[in-house]
Amino acid sequence: MTAVASGATVRPAKRGWSFLAPTILPGFGTAFGFTLAYLCLIVLIPLGHMALRAADVGWDRFWAITLAPRVLHAFYVSFGCALAAALINAVFGLVVAWVLVRYRFPGRRLIDAMVDLPFALPTSVAGIALTAIYAPNGWIGALAKAAGFKIAFTPIGIVIALVFVGLPFIVRTVEPVLQDLDAEVEEAAASLGATRWQTFIKVLLPAILPALITGVALAFARGVGEYGSVIFIAGNIPAVSEIVPLLIVARLEQYDYAGATVIATAMMGVSFLMLLGINFLQRWTRSRHAR
Amino acid sequence: MAIEIRNVEKTFGAFTALGGVSLDVRSGELLALLGPSGSGKTTLLRIIAGLDHADAGEVSFDGQDTRDRAARDRKVGFVFQHYALFRHMTVFDNVAFGLRVKKKAERPAEMDIRRRVGQLLEMVQLSHLASRYPSQLSGGQRQRVALARALAIEPKVLLLDEPFGALDAKVRKDLRKWLRHLHDDMHITSIFVTHDQEEALELADRVVVMNHGQIIQVGTPAEVYDTPADSFVFDFLGGVNRLNGVIEGGVARLDGKAVRVDGEVGPNGPAVIYVRPHQVELDVAPGDGVPEGKWSARVSSLHAAGPVARLELDLAGRALEAQLSRDRLSDLALDVGSWCTVDFRHARVFPAKN
Amino acid sequence: MPADPHSRRPAVGEGPVTRLALIGLAILFLAAFLALPLAAVFSQALAKGFGAFLKGLTDPDALSAIQLTLTVAAIAVPLNLVFGVAASWAIAKFNFRGKSLLLALIDLPFSVSPVISGLVYVLLFGLHGSFGPWLRDHGVQIIFAVPGVVMATVFVTFPFVARELIPLMQEQGVEDEEAAIVLGASGWQTFRLVTLPNIRWGLLYGVLLCNARAMGEFGAVSVVSGHIRGKTNTMPLHVEILYNEYNFVAAFAVASLLALLALVTLAAKAILEWRFADQIAAAKR
Ligand SMILES: Nc1ncnc2c1ncn2[C@@H]1O[C@H](COP(=O)(O)OP(=O)(O)O)[C@@H](O)[C@H]1O
Ligand SMILES: [Mg+2]
Repeated sequence: MTAVASGATVRPAKRGWSFLAPTILPGFGTAFGFTLAYLCLIVLIPLGHMALRAADVGWDRFWAITLAPRVLHAFYVSFGCALAAALINAVFGLVVAWVLVRYRFPGRRLIDAMVDLPFALPTSVAGIALTAIYAPNGWIGALAKAAGFKIAFTPIGIVIALVFVGLPFIVRTVEPVLQDLDAEVEEAAASLGATRWQTFIKVLLPAILPALITGVALAFARGVGEYGSVIFIAGNIPAVSEIVPLLIVARLEQYDYAGATVIATAMMGVSFLMLLGINFLQRWTRSRHAR
Repeated sequence: MAIEIRNVEKTFGAFTALGGVSLDVRSGELLALLGPSGSGKTTLLRIIAGLDHADAGEVSFDGQDTRDRAARDRKVGFVFQHYALFRHMTVFDNVAFGLRVKKKAERPAEMDIRRRVGQLLEMVQLSHLASRYPSQLSGGQRQRVALARALAIEPKVLLLDEPFGALDAKVRKDLRKWLRHLHDDMHITSIFVTHDQEEALELADRVVVMNHGQIIQVGTPAEVYDTPADSFVFDFLGGVNRLNGVIEGGVARLDGKAVRVDGEVGPNGPAVIYVRPHQVELDVAPGDGVPEGKWSARVSSLHAAGPVARLELDLAGRALEAQLSRDRLSDLALDVGSWCTVDFRHARVFPAKN
Repeated sequence: MPADPHSRRPAVGEGPVTRLALIGLAILFLAAFLALPLAAVFSQALAKGFGAFLKGLTDPDALSAIQLTLTVAAIAVPLNLVFGVAASWAIAKFNFRGKSLLLALIDLPFSVSPVISGLVYVLLFGLHGSFGPWLRDHGVQIIFAVPGVVMATVFVTFPFVARELIPLMQEQGVEDEEAAIVLGASGWQTFRLVTLPNIRWGLLYGVLLCNARAMGEFGAVSVVSGHIRGKTNTMPLHVEILYNEYNFVAAFAVASLLALLALVTLAAKAILEWRFADQIAAAKR
């Protein structure tokens, strides 16, 4: 990548610390300066400011707010439902990606385009639509009611909303990996006597796993913070189906800035730790893979 | 195990990759499928392995039709051109794969698997790399892992697609010898694909020459080299002079003089005379004109490194390549610019195309 | 090589039964989770007939929500477009220390809950925010006003354009630009005549996604807007208000407009991906 050629006339670049690698292209200063300024203004300063406000609250109060039973339960609901939805998506998202990549059937293109619907559909629209379907008088909700259980206004409803929201993350991360798999490897497995299932479990899945974990992590992170598509279907019953983002909004509406800040900061902290864990898991699966 | 291939056809869309191929592979032989790129070699190999289905025709193993036998039931060892190793498994696990996926009833105990894989790795001289991953190996080592993996299931047939294609020249030569020894020890019916005539001639018991989805000739290396079935085979086996002449009344003529040719002489008309460089005979030019039935040529360049000398000659405006021993060259005392007489020991003539 | 390496390998594929079962499962799953909600939106919107549907859409508050949504997108998208181009120019065409940190920071808004994206601005500019009293004294209102809605939207749509452009420009390398500079072009000419044509479809793609999110953002906007009808209500917020008032037909009428926008976005995206696959492929991990 370096444009410096060896030769008597070209002196090696000055050793030591240099911020920018040598280049003849102009405009770095302007572009980089603008990028950094905009990033600070829009993202970093507001987020940093929130962290400072959380620190202002003080250690004791921070924990008192976070460990209140209602808050704890909301954490449990948010993270639990996000995890459940991500795992459901891991299975069905993989099936969808597999079918889209490997099979040719009428309507494949349409389905492929539809997978991105959750990215494109405003969350409040998704929220009321899902509620309309899964509420006790909705298309599927009525069926469930007849079978004796409730979907909307319970954690199951939350999981359903989060499955909707997270699906494209899994499909779109797994798809390219499936596409790039070497077909000969599967043939090798077959000629060595492996059944299709053995080939999938022993040969294909290990190759897909890192991407699958990435997808799960993305879907999970999105699910934890999701608000619009969940609040309608959740019913928001305290200690049953109340999620953390809703709790933040509720505190804000009561002008309890400290409470909102603390809960928000705690949520970001926990998400960060979980993503760190997932990252670690991923490195581990990748390290068993080609080095 | 013997393999009979009868009228196998395969098309991809409008393209005919195999146009009715029949071949008998003898039990225990090492057979080369030789042909230019795109001639259908891989396609044929894949059909034998059950990785592709033929559109028509049949393949039988020891007289049993294989139509309904899936790839995984054929007990065929397949070595892929690019090895197709399992990237997330160690060398050991790659080789053990075929044993571990066997049905419970047939699967050897883990101890026996270890022993067997150990033996195979020893045979391919990779015992010390058992715990490496494929990406940590050189091309030649990967090739050997792929081979050991294929041999682990004790295949009745071993199929190798361009086994040396992706390796550099030196490794290629070593591996070639080694494969020959391996085959002599194990006597598994083996078919390998190559587009390199030298490889096919040196290694195989018999050579199958293919072109455009057809088998052109089958024979021992000596047979195909010495009596090529047609001009394509002559050409493809390398190192050949092609001289434009004519056929007149059953005689091939070059510049009016008759050329002694082996085999058939075709119908009257323009023709191409094929001569291998080492079949070109040179002699000192006598002072007075050209002797009866011979040609006169001038040496235009000379490469005399190693035991064999190669000469480029100018025969009435045609380039002609000749090979002779260094001793013979010094006897003749030829040098660039000197004249000599030319005769052909063995030549073939084929009608000129269009 | 044929385009699809898997369709031509019958000997090792799944059997027809497995194949059909998997296709069926995928279709069933997608029908339940994607097609059904979409169908619900339109059927609920038209549940009381076309007249009721139109009435919901032409209500003055609905019209003002549509107008605000368009205004907000018209501000947020160009801002993030300029940012995306600047960031990808700096990141893709130059090597500097801390590049991967900068990349991670640009992605940051993706991993922040929308609610928090709104909250951070309330904490700065809200009545009890750090600058709240000062702003009030100077008669400037950001939170519960349009500026706050714009800011929150900019925050959540921040990475979209940059995310598409950076991998694309990285893949294209710097040789074209270096050649232009060596031939005497100015920096701006180089960008306009060499870089821009190379990235235009990726750019459009990024703008498309950015716009869809800008018009559809709910959580962040909900926190800063104050839900003032006819003033700070965007379409997604208006949907919520109507729904909570049990005015389902009107809620779904406005929702159907947003769903239509989503469908147009998906169609445009599919067309772009299909026509200019190579030029936007880089962005798909
Ligand atoms: N799956 C396929 N689809 C379309 N054409 C193919 C396919 N496989 C092989 N071919 C074509 O068939 C011909 C023979 O291919 P192959 O058997 O691989 O030749 P070889 O191994 O002798 O180089 C080639 O022209 C190739 O392009
Ligand atoms: Mg081949």
